[in-house]
Amino acid sequence: MSNNDKDVLTGEHFTMGDLACAEGAISAGCRFFAGYPITPATEIAEIMAKRLPMVGGKYIQMEDEIASIIAAIGASYTGVKAMTATAGPGISLMLENIGLAAMVEAPLVIINVMRCGPSTGSPTNAGQGDIMQAKWGSHGDYEIIALAPSTVQEMYSLTIEAFNLSEEYRVPVFVLADGILGHMREKLVIPKKSEIKIVNRKKPTCKPEEYKPFKVDESLVPPMATFGSGYRFYATGLTHNEMGYPDNDPKVYESLVKRLCDKIRKNADKIIKYEEFMLDDAEIVLIAYGSTARSAKRAVIDGRKKGIKVGLLRLITIWPFPGKKVKELSKTAKAFVVPEMNYGQIVREVERFTGTVPVIPFSKLTGNIPLPKEILDVVMEV
Amino acid sequence: MSSHVVSKPISSRGRTWRVVINEDYCKGCGICIMVCPRKCLDFAKYFNSKGYYPATLSKPDDCIGCLLCEYNCPDFAIYLEWEQKKERAKQEA
Amino acid sequence: MAQKVSPHPLADYIRTDRLPFIFCPGCSIGTIIGMVARAMKELNLDLTKTVVVSGIGCTGRASGYFNACAFHTTHGRAIPFATGVKLANPELNVIVISGDGDLASIGGNHLIHAARRNIDITVIAINNFNYGMTGGQYGPTTPLKSRTQTSPYGTIEQPFNLSKLAASAGATYVARWTPLDVFKGVKSIKKAILHKGFSFIEFVGICPTAYGRYNRLGDAPEMLEHLKKIEVKKNVPPEEADFDFNEILVCGEFVDTTKPELTELYDKLILSVKEENK
Repeated sequence: MSNNDKDVLTGEHFTMGDLACAEGAISAGCRFFAGYPITPATEIAEIMAKRLPMVGGKYIQMEDEIASIIAAIGASYTGVKAMTATAGPGISLMLENIGLAAMVEAPLVIINVMRCGPSTGSPTNAGQGDIMQAKWGSHGDYEIIALAPSTVQEMYSLTIEAFNLSEEYRVPVFVLADGILGHMREKLVIPKKSEIKIVNRKKPTCKPEEYKPFKVDESLVPPMATFGSGYRFYATGLTHNEMGYPDNDPKVYESLVKRLCDKIRKNADKIIKYEEFMLDDAEIVLIAYGSTARSAKRAVIDGRKKGIKVGLLRLITIWPFPGKKVKELSKTAKAFVVPEMNYGQIVREVERFTGTVPVIPFSKLTGNIPLPKEILDVVMEV
Repeated sequence: MSSHVVSKPISSRGRTWRVVINEDYCKGCGICIMVCPRKCLDFAKYFNSKGYYPATLSKPDDCIGCLLCEYNCPDFAIYLEWEQKKERAKQEA
Repeated sequence: MAQKVSPHPLADYIRTDRLPFIFCPGCSIGTIIGMVARAMKELNLDLTKTVVVSGIGCTGRASGYFNACAFHTTHGRAIPFATGVKLANPELNVIVISGDGDLASIGGNHLIHAARRNIDITVIAINNFNYGMTGGQYGPTTPLKSRTQTSPYGTIEQPFNLSKLAASAGATYVARWTPLDVFKGVKSIKKAILHKGFSFIEFVGICPTAYGRYNRLGDAPEMLEHLKKIEVKKNVPPEEADFDFNEILVCGEFVDTTKPELTELYDKLILSVKEENK
């Protein structure tokens, strides 16, 4: 598959999650990758190293993850779609500059193939323990978008979606995979190039002398000029005004920080995606994402066979969290069960919206996905 | 318009210029005074709106237009405005 | 008295709407910004294709004053940002202006790797021997036995010789000047920008407000006089580019060689891969 110089490898493939993710990036138009090897995301870097020169893109292995993400931000500012891929420890290193990307509104895709943490943890075992880190990791108030694929096909399609969202909202977008999904092999169908929806960043239409890099309209997202496109502008991680100049005025600070968050919060309904599986009459609602959702789906099917009215809300967008949907479900559900490969992360978000309806977390911390039977046992106890 | 203090036109060797000091930018650091090879510059006896004593061209007739003040100034506060930057006669051809 | 007078000769290269500079009186950063602007003017650089990148610190504020594309990164990350920009679009002129702490302390790793890769960026390092913005703490270039805010008893750490560091990491153009070397400095900056490869110019500057004050070095003219006194201008190999704050400061061009440059190599790689896969 990787000896082909076409950018969209239309056809059916049997391949690994990491490779599907890399191909998704190339199909989306990504032409810059800066990374550092880390299990289990190394394969993404390897494929990008091989494929990017074939499609005229650039690959660079930087000296550490910090350099990787800031190089990707630099590339993004030249108008090129850029990404980096890493795992938990790498994200921890990158957090300061994820905050920078959010502050300077650089479109950027960050793949986190999660593994067991904390710290070095268990590199070859899967985990889902970086959910809260994706949202709250960097300091200060900012918003990001995080997507959670649960099949190899979604590793491909959600990476494309991640690029589209990052271009539309000028925000860093995470793809939160896990070690199992990254390394498992499944069927991948790549459509024709013309069938793939690509979104590109809005460009400024005014004259260069009149350009104000951070001036917005009602969309809350400023059009983005890029280095070398005829516009000269300044961007900084300091709080800045419309011209991009550092500005200490409290009103400027407040309106900037609010806008950086509101551009996601106010558009949450457009961004949020989830899959409803047998939820119409469900009394017990499973909320799951990533590889865990695969077992959860099986548990729903088995549960229904046993006559239990169970359904699944599979989160595709983890952040922003579909609070409204959970609240709506809490009106009819008798209980929520949230299986995760961590000690309770998304379950806290669920609890915020369920009122008095009981929420039962199920934590599987062994580095493997919960088995359908294990999830069903918890459901049956309820 | 910030307060530019412009000297009279000064001529030497076929060149003519005026020394311009932007008193709003000058921070009274003293570097131009120090680097001037003819010691034409000094601190003014008054201070600017920021409280600095700006540089002043106290001996305009001694100025040779060497540009050291303009090049060394850390604040873009002193420069030469050229009316005639003629090269020497033999280099003109 | 509204006289009709021409603007400063470098006004087109600087965001004059943001002047006066925030730097202290006598700070070398202002002088060096002028030198870089002058080099840009003499080279007639297209400012829409020039990117000035800086990190955090007093020197980090420099990028915001250029009338080109500019970016102010997080602390120490100016060089990898510049690497990303240059690799993604090799047609841009990328200039990094940053301080001793930003480039050699937190950014030290990035400095040596970019030099190793020989990527075509120009790094202007303004070395004023301390972390000025935060009040004057010691850093990796602070001379031995200096008093600073975090070394009240005098530093006990040996400092880097930045020019030697860059040269041994593989930089292909290395030079050092003081802010008084206005003509030679501008010429060197022009050479560095045109040089195809990693160029590193160290400007040994003064910080009269922090470092100068704590070590009783006098005001700006006095500190510059001291630099003038210890300065020895000679183009020597980097091993001989000595620097002892009390005794000797060797200035000049230390390295000027050619090695394969990263973005050119990558473009060649793309062509050969495409050929192979036809």
